[in-house]
Amino acid sequence: MTKLLMNRRRFIGTTALAGAAVASPAYLRRASAQGSGEVNIWTYNDFVPESFKEQFESETGIKVNVRLVDDQGKQFNLLAAEQPNPTVDIMTVAGHRFLQFIDSELLAPLDTSRLTNWGNINPTFSESDWSTINGEKWGAPILSGMEVLSYNTELVSQEEAMTWNTLFSEKYSGQTAYIIQDMMSIVMLKLGYDGNMVEYMDDPEKAAAIVEEAKQFLIDHKPLVRKYYDSGAEFQQMMVNQDIALGHSWNGPAAALINDGFPLAMTIPNEGTYGFVYTYNVANNAPNVDNAYTFLDAILASPEIGAAMTKASGFISTYKDASNYLTDLEKKSTSFPEEQLANLQFFRAEANEMKYGLVDPAVEAVKAA
Amino acid sequence: MTYDASVRKDRDGHTAPLGDRPFWGRVANWGPYRAFLAILTASPRRQFIILAAFPILWLLTQHLGPMLQMLRVSLIDAYPVAPGTPQAFTFDSYMRFFGDRIFWQPFFRTLTFAAVFTFCTLILTYPVAYFLARHVSRKNQMLMLLLLLIPFWVGEIVRTYAIMILLGNTGAVNLALKWLGLIDRPIPFMYTSFSMGIGIVYLTALYMLLPLYSALEKLPQSMNEAAADLGAGAWTRFRRISLPLTIEGISSGCILVFLISTGFYATPVLLGGPSTTVFPETIAGFFHVAGDEWPTGAAFAVIMFATALVITGVFQKVMNMLRKGDTK
Amino acid sequence: MNRRVELNRGNRIFLACVYWAFVLYVFVPLILMIVMGFKDSKFIGFPIRSWTLDWYTGVFSDAEVLYTFGYSVVIASLSTLISVIVGTWIAVLLEGRKFWGRAVTFGLMVLPALVPGIISAIAFRIYARMLGVEPGMGAIIWAHAVHNVPFVTLVVMARLSTLPKSQIEAARDLGADPLMAFMRITLPYLVPAILGASVFCLLLSFDDFVRSFFLGGYDPTLPVLIFAMLRSGMSPEINAIATVALVLTAAIGIWAERFTRRANKESQT
Repeated sequence: MTKLLMNRRRFIGTTALAGAAVASPAYLRRASAQGSGEVNIWTYNDFVPESFKEQFESETGIKVNVRLVDDQGKQFNLLAAEQPNPTVDIMTVAGHRFLQFIDSELLAPLDTSRLTNWGNINPTFSESDWSTINGEKWGAPILSGMEVLSYNTELVSQEEAMTWNTLFSEKYSGQTAYIIQDMMSIVMLKLGYDGNMVEYMDDPEKAAAIVEEAKQFLIDHKPLVRKYYDSGAEFQQMMVNQDIALGHSWNGPAAALINDGFPLAMTIPNEGTYGFVYTYNVANNAPNVDNAYTFLDAILASPEIGAAMTKASGFISTYKDASNYLTDLEKKSTSFPEEQLANLQFFRAEANEMKYGLVDPAVEAVKAA
Repeated sequence: MTYDASVRKDRDGHTAPLGDRPFWGRVANWGPYRAFLAILTASPRRQFIILAAFPILWLLTQHLGPMLQMLRVSLIDAYPVAPGTPQAFTFDSYMRFFGDRIFWQPFFRTLTFAAVFTFCTLILTYPVAYFLARHVSRKNQMLMLLLLLIPFWVGEIVRTYAIMILLGNTGAVNLALKWLGLIDRPIPFMYTSFSMGIGIVYLTALYMLLPLYSALEKLPQSMNEAAADLGAGAWTRFRRISLPLTIEGISSGCILVFLISTGFYATPVLLGGPSTTVFPETIAGFFHVAGDEWPTGAAFAVIMFATALVITGVFQKVMNMLRKGDTK
Repeated sequence: MNRRVELNRGNRIFLACVYWAFVLYVFVPLILMIVMGFKDSKFIGFPIRSWTLDWYTGVFSDAEVLYTFGYSVVIASLSTLISVIVGTWIAVLLEGRKFWGRAVTFGLMVLPALVPGIISAIAFRIYARMLGVEPGMGAIIWAHAVHNVPFVTLVVMARLSTLPKSQIEAARDLGADPLMAFMRITLPYLVPAILGASVFCLLLSFDDFVRSFFLGGYDPTLPVLIFAMLRSGMSPEINAIATVALVLTAAIGIWAERFTRRANKESQT
């Protein structure tokens, strides 16, 4: 069996080649004429390809300071604690968290006219309705993720994986795991409701009743679950240790397992599922706004950069044609059949305040039950 | 004439000449030093003030300050505040705890786990400390202690994942049991209170070992020897001599471990299961979401902390009564 | 000189078994971590199908990791220095003395050790902002120092309580002033406790994640870096980094122990 491992050196090697393929566009040369400074970025590990960062720094003279965060909650806390003068210019927000950040006035609207490469993003992401709030765009989508059913192909069959009900079946009792909060949305969808709760924005009683039903469902099935987890690394470890046979996960961590040769596969079950998008956003009152836009424009410049992000994270790139630069296995782990994709919708932010006001206590109740 | 205690005498009892006096001797007799000292020691009261000034200042600003800030956050209605909105003082965050029963289960569960694991840690580390203090040669004791300390230098996250691959279904233990032919299907150790206990006791053993060891190390051997001469067996010697004399070490170890155990977050979250949710996890949940939940998180933290303090206060009282009741 | 009281064989074996079982318990995760660093895969776990040295050699050629390690060491050293000075001072104030408010002072002293990490970290972040302290190395050192003071104080107080008062009184009778008595008798007596406390503080600071995360700037400490890398899964690479960090810090610890043992021997002649 050939070594499918993408070790660090090889990764840097390939992306260096990819980076070299990026011709130095005119606006970068202009920017370096303006003088340097720095740009401060908060993002996840590997979301800013190392080779891109080095090339950008050498071409523009702008120093790129990357601070690694590992989840949205911590990033929010950190930013909140820094108000009203944040130290950060660009942050990585997951699409459905937009409103939280926007309502707390932590983000600045994105001026897409300053981004000549905006058109490099697949319109499915850049022009979709979740990304426009109050008539403004707030972030540049870079990677797309979704809630999937991941299963060990040696233990679970593909037909079984086409429905979320398998997660709650007696057959796999004690061999499943999921993230409660995400699962609440999925269960609501499965029960036939709108998991985004946008339909019930004017009917809080109905919304509460639906959440109650979903909560009760999860509580009833609590004896069957092995673990409620929070992070992709936990899920990956559970799969490797065969503590679970299948579970709900994000496609990124699952793709990483697949790329490593683990017998895993993902499905978007028939009942449907939700997707989310990671975006680069400019902070409100950012110290280096101009440099931030220069950086954003540069990172959107070519599909190879998008492919590099996919290779590192397992999530799907929002850039047009990025998949052309992936290996076959990577393509396999970041794509889904058309029939399954038809069942995919995106998380929407409009009803989030009401939704999470109901869902968060429900999550606590499920944990405590 | 003041006698300078630091003046060296050679073998014949002659005092060294002034120029040969050692360093401290010169300092003690140095003019400016003497003047400085006169100011400091003008009165016992002033001595005390000089001694206490910096510590008190430090304690108030560094220890109390941040906590007061947290207390303040627990009493307002939203944090962080979007600029322009007024802040209102409210007890709502505290009321939320008392009003909603779902929070009580993780709360009491945490206290119970903390107590149980503290006891387990005590039972486990006492023999170890005893062995180390008594049956390892004196010069090796420091080395052994250090060697025992080294694994604690492994970062908590990496170590926790190591426990996962130890106890997992295809982990080291299950693979070994299978290879020995003792089991057919793996035993699900992980994500239970057992696996959580393994992780927590690992962390707390260190905090318990050191006070116990230092208490046991000071035990005079003579008492044990006398008791042995008088015919007392090992268990009796332990029960009537070692145990009572080390009660203070036990007590301080237990208090420290209990209080710290109530605050563990990462280990229970990673190693525990659906039925082992601990209160710090609940608290952290409030900090992970939108800003207006921070006050609730802060309030819950204050409640947890206050309760833990009360419990340890009671425990301390009980221990004191036990000690007083002991006739020596 | 120490005649050990005889335990019967059964008891002795039992005690030894518990001891070595504990040692095993404490070392097993360590061994697993070292072994996993050799696994040729992106994830850790059994079975190990192929082995590689790449991760370990990668650690030494990865400038970012080495820089982060050095950064953590510097932070640990500086914060320990502060903790030890402050903690010893407080211990000297508290031990054996009766004064109005002693109990409250003791409680305040112990406070940082008892507050759960995430609470303490966020509280400090807010407090820092109120004081105008920028996140970064200074803020981390400060937070670590404050957090470790209780441990130093408790350990030094314990040691101080065993110092026979007669020694100080004798020195005073012989003409030593209080400061001299402290410098020449108390302080040397406290040295073992101070050293032990220092080692403990270095450990706590080096290993700390939550304070370093909230108060840090753009340079991560080692635990923060590992946590960020964890997002891509617990990998043999992380295990290799942690192993190398452990070996280096253990080497420093053992060297320190040897050094003080030799120093003690010399001062006893």
